[in-house]
Amino acid sequence: MLTADERGVLLFTLGIAGLGTLLILPPGVAVALALARYRGPGKGALETLLSLPLVLPPTAVGLFLLEAFSRRTALGAGLAAAGLDVVFTWRGVLVATSVMSFPLLVRSARTAFEEVDPRLVGIARTLGRGPVATFFSVTLPLARRGVLAGVTLAFARALGEFGATVMVAGNIPGRTQTLALAIFHDNQVGRDDRALVLAGVTVALAFVALWTAEWLTRRSARRGEA
Amino acid sequence: MIDLSIEVPLAAFTLRVEAALAGRVTAILGPSGSGKTSLLETVAGLRPKARGRVVLDGQILLDDTRRIRLSPERRRVGYVPQDSGLFPHLSALGNVRFGARGGDGGRVEGAIDTLGLRPILSRSPASLSGGERQRVALARALATDPSVLLLDEPLASVDVELKERILPYLLRVREDWRVPMLYVTHNVGEALALADQVLVLRDGGVEASGMPSQLLSSPAMAREVAAGGIENIFVVRVLSHDVAAGVTRLRSQGGLDVAVPLAPSRPPGSTATVAIRAEDVLVAVEPIRGLSARNVYEGRITRLDQTGTDVLVCVDVGGEPAWLARLTPGAVAELQLSHDRHVWLAVKSHSARWV
Repeated sequence: MLTADERGVLLFTLGIAGLGTLLILPPGVAVALALARYRGPGKGALETLLSLPLVLPPTAVGLFLLEAFSRRTALGAGLAAAGLDVVFTWRGVLVATSVMSFPLLVRSARTAFEEVDPRLVGIARTLGRGPVATFFSVTLPLARRGVLAGVTLAFARALGEFGATVMVAGNIPGRTQTLALAIFHDNQVGRDDRALVLAGVTVALAFVALWTAEWLTRRSARRGEA
Repeated sequence: MIDLSIEVPLAAFTLRVEAALAGRVTAILGPSGSGKTSLLETVAGLRPKARGRVVLDGQILLDDTRRIRLSPERRRVGYVPQDSGLFPHLSALGNVRFGARGGDGGRVEGAIDTLGLRPILSRSPASLSGGERQRVALARALATDPSVLLLDEPLASVDVELKERILPYLLRVREDWRVPMLYVTHNVGEALALADQVLVLRDGGVEASGMPSQLLSSPAMAREVAAGGIENIFVVRVLSHDVAAGVTRLRSQGGLDVAVPLAPSRPPGSTATVAIRAEDVLVAVEPIRGLSARNVYEGRITRLDQTGTDVLVCVDVGGEPAWLARLTPGAVAELQLSHDRHVWLAVKSHSARWV
């Protein structure tokens, strides 16, 4: 079926998507909770800003990231000095896919947190739990399906990311090539049969991920009605 | 002992309450939207906009002039909201255990027994009836070893299905746990049976406060009685079953005897609570003869209170508590009922209901 190189690309893609999803989980959940609780001015603008990567051309996002992590910036120079080059490395793939999938996690988790009855949170406090303990014993368990759906969507998005990745990390076989990049590469060099096989793999992965997210969301909606 | 001097801005008005609540059980009455729930939430620390002072047994929970505002988890209050507020992702047992600090298993077990939760421990909140949920929430609050219980009663009308009423459990909690209670209710009969102090709220202020029996004539209590009815509620011990006569004989803690239809499932010596609506009590100004009612008493009228369009007549028959009879003004006029009048009461055994 898959050649050794292709298996490597598949594993690299799954690994990057998995690691990226894990990395964005804590900040994503924190931002989602803050957005769900925040009632002050600028809420709409803030939410729109955080959702921008969903609709912007991924290449535009990639260009911003390329600028931010280039050696001309303090950030890029510092990382390079520490031996943590981002541009044209696997870390670039990680950064690009994480940034692109972050809004999906936040949107889904925010909705889930907004559906948690704030009265239950208050009651947990009267029962002796502090804010942090309340979050882990009440808020997160009640929002878990929405958060998990967000995680699944973010993971699926990371699997298929192309535009931002190619800008930040290039398309270097064996180093920064993901499934999406490999399909493009195979097609460019006339290996359409291999491109089709890889495309088939992405269909299978995406189907499982979306179906899981859909199932989780439906379950949480049903629970909400009960 | 709770000292309150609070101002809470609400949507329609500002709740202002000054009160010293010294009773073991303080009943809080008042129409919907009068601020009862907000008062409980302020004591629980769930109203960040509340100002003023809340002192519980000498501990300052809130004092905005001294910038003291204890967070809810440091207040040691057991709050049972109107909708029970059970955690839907936990079983009944998980809910009861949720609040037990430091894994105090004894309190958890005790609360489970007091509230009769053994048969439903593994059930999910969604599968429980309203009364069961309220009991689980009460056990959960008790298990935290609270300094005060704050209870918002949703099912308090005299028409609520009897098995849904939480009163008998509250009586048990009052006797066995010795935790002071603030108890929001609409049921004047329950307030009389349970509370030693009543606070009546209206439009965000205190309309009346005092001992329950003294407040029967207050417009506030009269309103509640007119809207929800009133029952005579007795905590009783089962004396004996008289199979031939078809009655079970009961005696209240205050020495009042009541006969009810034969209830062999209640063993002699056991305690129970019975309720008899005030409109089911007949009043006569002559000795009663030749009547089928199984409960006949002789006594004196101690109060007559206008409640809505009716008159509530309070009759002392020698035992505690006194009987309440709800009569029409026409009947009161025809019988020339007045304070200290010598009267006889008749109560059908079948009008008694086990609560």
